[in-house]
Amino acid sequence: MSEAVLALAGARKGRPSILQRLVGQALARNLSCLIVPGPEVALVHGLDVAAAGMRIAATPRDAAVLLVIGELSQKLDEAAAVLYAQMPRPRAILVLGGPAPSSLPHADVSASLSQAELIDAAGRLQRALAEGAFAASPEDFDASVLQARTEYVCPMHPEVVEDEPGSCPKCGMDLVAREAGADTGAEETTPEHGHDHEHHKDHDHEHHHDDHKHHHDHHHAHGQHNGGTHEHSEHDHEGHEHHHGSEHHMEHHQESSGGHEHHDHVGGHDHDAMGFMSMVEVTKDLPRSADGLQMDWIEVPFGPVFPGLPGGLRLTLTLDGDGVTEGQATSLVGMTTEGEDGDEGKEMDAEAFVERLASSMPLASVSYRLLACRAIERAAGLEDDPAAARAHASALERERIASHLGWLAQLGRQLSFVWLTRRATSLQLETRHANRDQLVALRPALRALTVRLERTPLLKARLRGIGTLPGSSHDLRGPVARAAGYREDARLANALYEDLRFEIRTEESPPDAWARLQVRLAEITASLDLVEAAGEPRLPTLRDIGSASGTGEVTVETPRGRAGLRLTLERGQVTSLKMDTACSHHIGLVANLVEGRELGDALVAVGSLDLSPWEVIQ
Amino acid sequence: MTVAVVLVALLGSAWLLAVIEAWLTTGRLRPVAPLLAGLSHLGRESLLPRKPDRLFFETAPVLLLVVAVLGAAVLPLAPGLVIADLATGALFVNTALAYVLVALIMAGWGPNGAYAMIGGWRFLGQLIAYAMLIVMPITAVAMRAESLLTTTIVGSQEGLWNIVYQPLGFVLFFIAAMALAFRAPFDLPTAAGELAGGVDAEYTGVRLAVLRLARLVLVVTLAAATTVFYLGGWHGPLLPPWAWSLIKTLAVAVSMLLAGRYLPRIREADLMRWCWTLGIPLALLNIFIVGLLILVVP
Repeated sequence: MSEAVLALAGARKGRPSILQRLVGQALARNLSCLIVPGPEVALVHGLDVAAAGMRIAATPRDAAVLLVIGELSQKLDEAAAVLYAQMPRPRAILVLGGPAPSSLPHADVSASLSQAELIDAAGRLQRALAEGAFAASPEDFDASVLQARTEYVCPMHPEVVEDEPGSCPKCGMDLVAREAGADTGAEETTPEHGHDHEHHKDHDHEHHHDDHKHHHDHHHAHGQHNGGTHEHSEHDHEGHEHHHGSEHHMEHHQESSGGHEHHDHVGGHDHDAMGFMSMVEVTKDLPRSADGLQMDWIEVPFGPVFPGLPGGLRLTLTLDGDGVTEGQATSLVGMTTEGEDGDEGKEMDAEAFVERLASSMPLASVSYRLLACRAIERAAGLEDDPAAARAHASALERERIASHLGWLAQLGRQLSFVWLTRRATSLQLETRHANRDQLVALRPALRALTVRLERTPLLKARLRGIGTLPGSSHDLRGPVARAAGYREDARLANALYEDLRFEIRTEESPPDAWARLQVRLAEITASLDLVEAAGEPRLPTLRDIGSASGTGEVTVETPRGRAGLRLTLERGQVTSLKMDTACSHHIGLVANLVEGRELGDALVAVGSLDLSPWEVIQ
Repeated sequence: MTVAVVLVALLGSAWLLAVIEAWLTTGRLRPVAPLLAGLSHLGRESLLPRKPDRLFFETAPVLLLVVAVLGAAVLPLAPGLVIADLATGALFVNTALAYVLVALIMAGWGPNGAYAMIGGWRFLGQLIAYAMLIVMPITAVAMRAESLLTTTIVGSQEGLWNIVYQPLGFVLFFIAAMALAFRAPFDLPTAAGELAGGVDAEYTGVRLAVLRLARLVLVVTLAAATTVFYLGGWHGPLLPPWAWSLIKTLAVAVSMLLAGRYLPRIREADLMRWCWTLGIPLALLNIFIVGLLILVVP
């Protein structure tokens, strides 16, 4: 208990007074949290954040609690530090089921992954906030990811980059300061990208740095909070050290721990060049985009923690107004098969391998557990046990229902369709561990959800014609393939599913987001039929393989499509593996789907692929 | 005195609306929730993003609040209970609300962030589309009342409310009002799933508290305008006039909040297309029909 009375690491500077106690109480009773990696991960672990009395915030600005779920990848860990830095004090960190991220201060409250623990943790957090929201000398937060370095460039010669201020060796002009790459090594998470003007295509640097500085400062903006990169420094730290030098830095720190306006000195900084700027002048050399308007191009990161996208996915879009000229998606949490195995000496106990694979794919852990078990058993030469296979198929189909419901909830978050998110979320929580009878009892509710969506005004207009795949698309899998009319399903090759009277459902209409919605809705019903036919679901467990050796190759139809695993077993140890997942292929479709689309449509298109960044093999 | 009464009614309605909104989201009816939320905003750091346009960033939330209150100033709560019964009242509502756009552009530009900026421009992009759908239905309302005085407009509906007399105008005005208040499904400038808050994204602390309050007051003002123009204002049996005004206003405001929960966000391009190709012709048709009715029905 005494622990809770201590001040929070993210306390705000101030002497405890009656007013501040009142504010602390108010904060405690009005908790909003930002979930890292994302709400969908909370749901697959059965965590109902709302039921624990916390509101899910869309942005770090709006959050008082950073809720970290599970162990984060290195890149996500750094992104979490950026998000935390953007949260206004008082702020707290709640870590569930994992070690505290290394880039963050110690967790104010930590607990394991269960709803009961979450509710208990929320209570402890409330007490901690009520009592420790204000402290006389709060801890500074200054992670290495947030460091920015200043470099000096010549306005006329972009190739001239110096560490010290001075004049250009080519033309003698004074060098101009700009922010440079922090040496974190991780390319996507270095904060600089957006600030210098490198991402402009076909433009002349001189132009920008010279006459239109003001204008461009605005556009380049710190990319975005959730983007995790650019804003790195705004309040807690070096926001302006690269402009003002380090003396200011200290002063800055103190102010930011408690004061309000700690950026007063910035005022005139960028606006000394305030004058009329002609948009025509600024954009005259830029290429024209699809809508024919010449606009300034900016590169904006979306994710890895963004309300409209799955957590762990970073989408980088080059925007021209709100049209997307190009974009690409990368996973910050994808599994690295080769690298990791190399590090671990390429040997892993079979049992541990199953657990590791299941936990590294949180959005489809049952599918990958099944995949790992079957591959190992195949390698060990064990025959399939028909009764167990049915029970496992039932569990797989149950996960498919839950996963598609999770996708619907995500769609609802993306489109501010609150009803859909709430309905799908509660159904997903009910489905997760339901037995056969309970699932069958959910049939009317699931049916009603489908009917309701068919009748929702605006939904079809929103999804029709969005994310249409080009005819030449190949390597499509799962619902994405079936929505494009391909008869692609690993279950077709499985004799068990023939017994269960499985029928594939494909969509003949254009392969767009609406078709994918239709296929997923139909699959919810189809999977329910399969569960009913297959019997009680049971999670796959590894049978005793002794110290067998061999090679096994299997495929499983995960909720997002066919996943293949080939592994070699030597005396009961997994020595090498090769994995092939649907999302590794689908993530490559993003560039094509977003190009030339309006921002909202581009995000819907990406969402409709149901990418799980964990299932992207790197 | 009148000013105080109207302001209290406005804030009271905003508070009730916030309670109802929280009730719909969390399922719990907590009358103190909006006050706690306000207090916790006040207690948090009010951050400035880097390189902001200070003037725009600071002004936007306040301007939005002022605009919403100004709009409410010409709307009567009961006979005689109106801050300013302007001869151009109906037009004044429209004029005041035009500054919502200015406030949002400032909120979009000020923080120097891409999400906010896109949000601000989005709102500008839609402006002409729905601004016409605010002003054209008001024209038909003024035609019937033969006056721009808001009190006369309410008086003209004593026998028959405008929602019955010109239902088409009501539907158009209601939709356009929701778009102007940028509530879901028209939340294009703030869109959580697309812009992570958009114009709201960079505001924290006191500024956020003002912005949130301004957004609530804006909804109340637009609901009050709908009440005055289409729902017969203070008219109603038994209860005192001010009570009817408040009940109707709250009902409209809540229905605006509710509608958004059951709909996905509209596509920007669709909103523009429908406003231009469908909304404006229908608004003209409404004016024409009302004109006919005035001529034919004595």
